[in-house]
Amino acid sequence: MNKNPLLTVTKFEFIRQIKKPSFWATILLIPAMVIVMFMISMFAGGKANEPTLDENTRITITDEANVLPKENPMVAKISKEEGKKKVINDETDLYFYIPADFKDTKKVGLYHISEGLDIFNTDGQVIKVVLKQALSSKFSDVEVAALTGNFEVTDNKLTKTGEESNALGKAIIPGVILVLFFFFVTLFGGRLLMTVVEEKENRISEMILTSVSAKHLIVGKILSMMMLGVIQILALIIPLIVALIIYKDNPMVSQILSTIEINPITIIENIALFIFSSLLATGFLTYIGAITPTAKDASQFIGPVIIGVVFPLYFMSSFMAAEPNGLVYFLTYFPLSAPTAMMLRSVFGTLSTPELIVGIVEIIVLSFIVIRLTVRTFQKNAINFSLALPSFFKIKK
Amino acid sequence: MKNIVEIKHFRMDFGKKTIIKDLSFEVHAGEIFGLLGANGSGKTTTLRALLGLYTPTSGELLVDGKPYNAEDSAVTIGYLPEERGLYRKETVIDNMVYFGKLKGLNDPLGWSQRYLKRVKLEDKANLKLEKLSGGQQQKIQLGVTIMNNPKLLILDEPTKGFDPMNRRLLMEIIEESHQKGAAIIMITHYMDEVEKLCDRAILLKDGVAHAYGTIDEIKKAHKNKSLEQIFIDVYGGEDE
Repeated sequence: MNKNPLLTVTKFEFIRQIKKPSFWATILLIPAMVIVMFMISMFAGGKANEPTLDENTRITITDEANVLPKENPMVAKISKEEGKKKVINDETDLYFYIPADFKDTKKVGLYHISEGLDIFNTDGQVIKVVLKQALSSKFSDVEVAALTGNFEVTDNKLTKTGEESNALGKAIIPGVILVLFFFFVTLFGGRLLMTVVEEKENRISEMILTSVSAKHLIVGKILSMMMLGVIQILALIIPLIVALIIYKDNPMVSQILSTIEINPITIIENIALFIFSSLLATGFLTYIGAITPTAKDASQFIGPVIIGVVFPLYFMSSFMAAEPNGLVYFLTYFPLSAPTAMMLRSVFGTLSTPELIVGIVEIIVLSFIVIRLTVRTFQKNAINFSLALPSFFKIKK
Repeated sequence: MKNIVEIKHFRMDFGKKTIIKDLSFEVHAGEIFGLLGANGSGKTTTLRALLGLYTPTSGELLVDGKPYNAEDSAVTIGYLPEERGLYRKETVIDNMVYFGKLKGLNDPLGWSQRYLKRVKLEDKANLKLEKLSGGQQQKIQLGVTIMNNPKLLILDEPTKGFDPMNRRLLMEIIEESHQKGAAIIMITHYMDEVEKLCDRAILLKDGVAHAYGTIDEIKKAHKNKSLEQIFIDVYGGEDE
């Protein structure tokens, strides 16, 4: 007998999937769509309608460079720290700090309170527009022109406790990983499910199970899908990196690049979350493959599983809140929604490290339980050509 | 004589339906054994339970003294199921090489090429399996079944749907496996095949063994009638 049947199954499943034109069509289509969307957003970004700002917006400015008239009521003789305190104490909405070396550095600091992600305000171009509008109601045209000239606005978001917040910068990497997770589940979930169903539908299982165990067959299929997922991720990431390099001088891109906060621990945590979440999701889908006799029957279950996985997205506002509510906690630990809920909380910065560890452990344990159940179910129902629901779903007559 | 298969008081229920009531028999090492009965008499169920694909309601089904496990059995098994099935979207050669690797062949590609030549399908090696006729697919599946020189060959209606020429070719290949020392369990509805090939047989009816022994013993117990006549007498008047 084969000394390494798991490797043989994994290799066979991997090779036969990458040989399929549909696999490459999917692989290439998604990055192409991402590039098109990226280019549209770049194009649209330059022509965006100017956002409006409430006329009652309270603005305070420290002008250490003396570029603004001193008699203007918005200009205050306060230090940067005092200005930040005014923001924290809700005595002003926006605080601009024009440093003494402004004429050399061409940099203005903007401070305001941030509740979660405030994506638009982080775009340097948009900030200038907002700034121009805000100032036009309070300053003369000359002053506005001086303030909205060729300079860079550094956006500094503060939390109510006074810490400087870079919510978007922290969210970018977990956000990208969340998107990759959705791509993985939606693109490979169905494929994986079908490869399991295929064994039964084409009557292969009866023959193959006399050569290899159900455990090695199922785990080999899952591993091959994970490997294909890596290829898909590379196909998504590489064009994205290339696009960022090509457009690195674009103001929006440079703003994004300067905003990204690279924390190795966060990256490792989120990659671990991605790997085990993918394992759990594929576990659920292979289980469906094990209980259903045909691809047609199986396809009815893909939708509910995908909905279960993306369910937390329907409660985005709850996840964006600074303090998670009961629903968020429930979805964080409910088996099907746990991966997405945890990734969303990681994006919005409300997932503490202990919670993350508990969550990952839960996902690992659930993955092993689901895969074990799948193996047993597949072995038991390998030649059962009808729907094999677990006994607790069956109505006793 | 050493038993390669032992089935003791095997019972198999599917829900409220009993397929096998109480079945016991042995298959000796190196013999050709016929598993006979009408459609629905439980022949395939018995083989599937022997291979661990069904869990028996009660009783013991042993291969070389132990319940069969694909990856740690000392006895190599080749199983040709009644339901034909390989990877239809893959090529003939890819299918054969994959199974060859799973069965631990040193040179699965070389073996597969030699077999395809033998069964005159060498020009089909790179075609997808679904492009082959049913009979051609069956030949491929028989090749997959015998490729690891199994000590126990289980064939569920191996010649079903074959023309006489290909039937003879397949019987030659099966006979070769027997010559190499394989014990063979064969389900077939062709009684002439049984009389010609089998050392012993069992005839199932109503979930129990209606007749069991050497071909001569079975015939003797039924007034030296032919196996076909015995079959007709046992199932006389029943709609298969």
